[in-house]
Amino acid sequence: MVNSTAEPGFQRHRARNLGATTPITLFARQTVAVTAAISTTDLTRGFASGLALDGVTLSVEPGEVLALLGPNGAGKTTTVRMLNGLLAPHRGSSMVLGFDPAVDGNAVRERTGVLTENAGLDDRLTTRENLEFTARMRGFSPEDSRRRTDELLERFGMTERADDLTQGFSTGQRKRVALARALLHEPEVLFLDEPTSGLDPTGTRDVIELISGLAGEGRTIVLATHFLGEAGKLADRMAVLHRGRLMAFGPPDELARDLWQGIGAEIDCGGPIGEAKLATLRGLPGVIEASDHAEGVSLRVDDRATVPRIVAALVGLDVPVFGAEAHNPTLEDVYFAVEKRIEAEAGAPISDGFLARDRPRNAHDEDVS
Amino acid sequence: MSRNWTAIRTVIAKDLRAVRRSKSITIPMISVPAVLLIVLPIGMGIFATSAPTEQMESALSSPIVREIVKPILELPSRERLVVLILGYMLSPLLLVIPLMVSAVLAADSFAGEKERRTLEGLLLLPIDDRDLFIAKVLGAFLPAVAITWICAVFYALICNAIAWPTLGRPFLPFTQWTITMLWVAPAVALLALGLLVIVSSKAKTTQEANQLGGAVILPLVFVAAAQSSGLMLAPVIGVLIAGAFVWALALGLITFNSRRFTRDRLASRA
Repeated sequence: MVNSTAEPGFQRHRARNLGATTPITLFARQTVAVTAAISTTDLTRGFASGLALDGVTLSVEPGEVLALLGPNGAGKTTTVRMLNGLLAPHRGSSMVLGFDPAVDGNAVRERTGVLTENAGLDDRLTTRENLEFTARMRGFSPEDSRRRTDELLERFGMTERADDLTQGFSTGQRKRVALARALLHEPEVLFLDEPTSGLDPTGTRDVIELISGLAGEGRTIVLATHFLGEAGKLADRMAVLHRGRLMAFGPPDELARDLWQGIGAEIDCGGPIGEAKLATLRGLPGVIEASDHAEGVSLRVDDRATVPRIVAALVGLDVPVFGAEAHNPTLEDVYFAVEKRIEAEAGAPISDGFLARDRPRNAHDEDVS
Repeated sequence: MSRNWTAIRTVIAKDLRAVRRSKSITIPMISVPAVLLIVLPIGMGIFATSAPTEQMESALSSPIVREIVKPILELPSRERLVVLILGYMLSPLLLVIPLMVSAVLAADSFAGEKERRTLEGLLLLPIDDRDLFIAKVLGAFLPAVAITWICAVFYALICNAIAWPTLGRPFLPFTQWTITMLWVAPAVALLALGLLVIVSSKAKTTQEANQLGGAVILPLVFVAAAQSSGLMLAPVIGVLIAGAFVWALALGLITFNSRRFTRDRLASRA
């Protein structure tokens, strides 16, 4: 087990051999034993408005990036708060780096960093003051606080704004400062709650690059998001939450095998091809599913070899083909397959678009839970 | 459990630095004491030093009043009005300062964190719930007491200066006044703080906390002002007992609040 005497500051508190062995459930069929950086068992939490988290069991391996997916109100923020000891479970338990957040909250918080959805900077303080306050609270000496703050300002390109109040900062700048703050003490586990919400495309790209870099350093990352794009780029495994329940959990490709037959194919026809021609495609051997959209046709086929046959059929139907590409199921494909399954079980659509397939501009929806 | 005083001091220093930069907090904290310390004593002092003494004699002629205001009646007649007004009638209003300052700071510290959405960031730091509560309470209490004491010193200087041509000597501080400032005023600050913490836990914004707090604190202001005029005339033991009563009430409220101040409760409302 991990030593429990925490010495905050620059010193990192490595906890590699944690001994917490937790079964991973993949639709309650597959179980895999791993040594977990994070594990939860039947984690449940309610509020006056109802259950925010309902019997969630999952685990995250050291160095892994877990995408916690789900729409607003799915329970992502509640999960992050519970794993950091802010909210106590009403049922079940969790372990983070060998500590129970409900019992040893400070021990967990000394080892984790959290980027909250709203950056949570004190706008009456400067960038430097915000960071130095956090550093002092994490046990850094005044000198180390200044040194570490300077390092992070440099790393996140905020040196020129170091002595400005954060009040007038853009969302992107605020996220940078908040991310710097979350990394001050070199946390072993990093929780990122909606890291790109409210960002413009450039800001989004910058933040995703920063997170990719952090993931590359071997840090355990829990990425709570309702944007599939960023999750798809970063995640080793995904956990799909819906109304507080864990609907799917595992590596995207494993989930895909469970949920998805075949591979995807995109054919650029310059526009939709119409229902009659789609019906023809659906009748071809090896075609599992076909639909058209503004740029052409999306298909699911049993094998890559089916794609040329489809292209030939389209040409035969006098449909121009500008390009064709086969691809393995993406996290996005898997997610929407999960959504379909949930809808089928619920007997009705879950919402108008469960998650954001395409990033909305100026999105800043708050997770209510 | 040992307290993490470094973390407590850091939170207090951060809060005070932020408060100093907030006009909505500093303006009332400057304007109210300015009125109480400068405008009222100068205006009333000038009136008291120039008013005819006959009216004063007639007002104090009733037997009950004569008993209550014995310390004033022992003074030469030309000194009575100025001492009565500046020492016994106006100076109790100084108790409004700890009430107001601690209420304003507490609203900013507790409800303000929610409003500015900085509460979750604070809760994510490795600090015990109890230490965080102590930091928040001291962050409002210590400045309220310090400001009150500084104001009391200024008030005494101004009043003595105004009364000097008539008295030819300083009349503030006298024993009851000193005990009120040193013993009762901090208790009043803590009491206001205790009430505001309860109010702030329900409020979503500083403004809402101030409005709700005003409803709770204002009657207290009137009670404090009214009762403390009596305090100045009461025997020393009476002032000490009154102070002890306020302390007991305030500490009871603070203890009640500290038990309710948990991360779980705060994060549920963050």
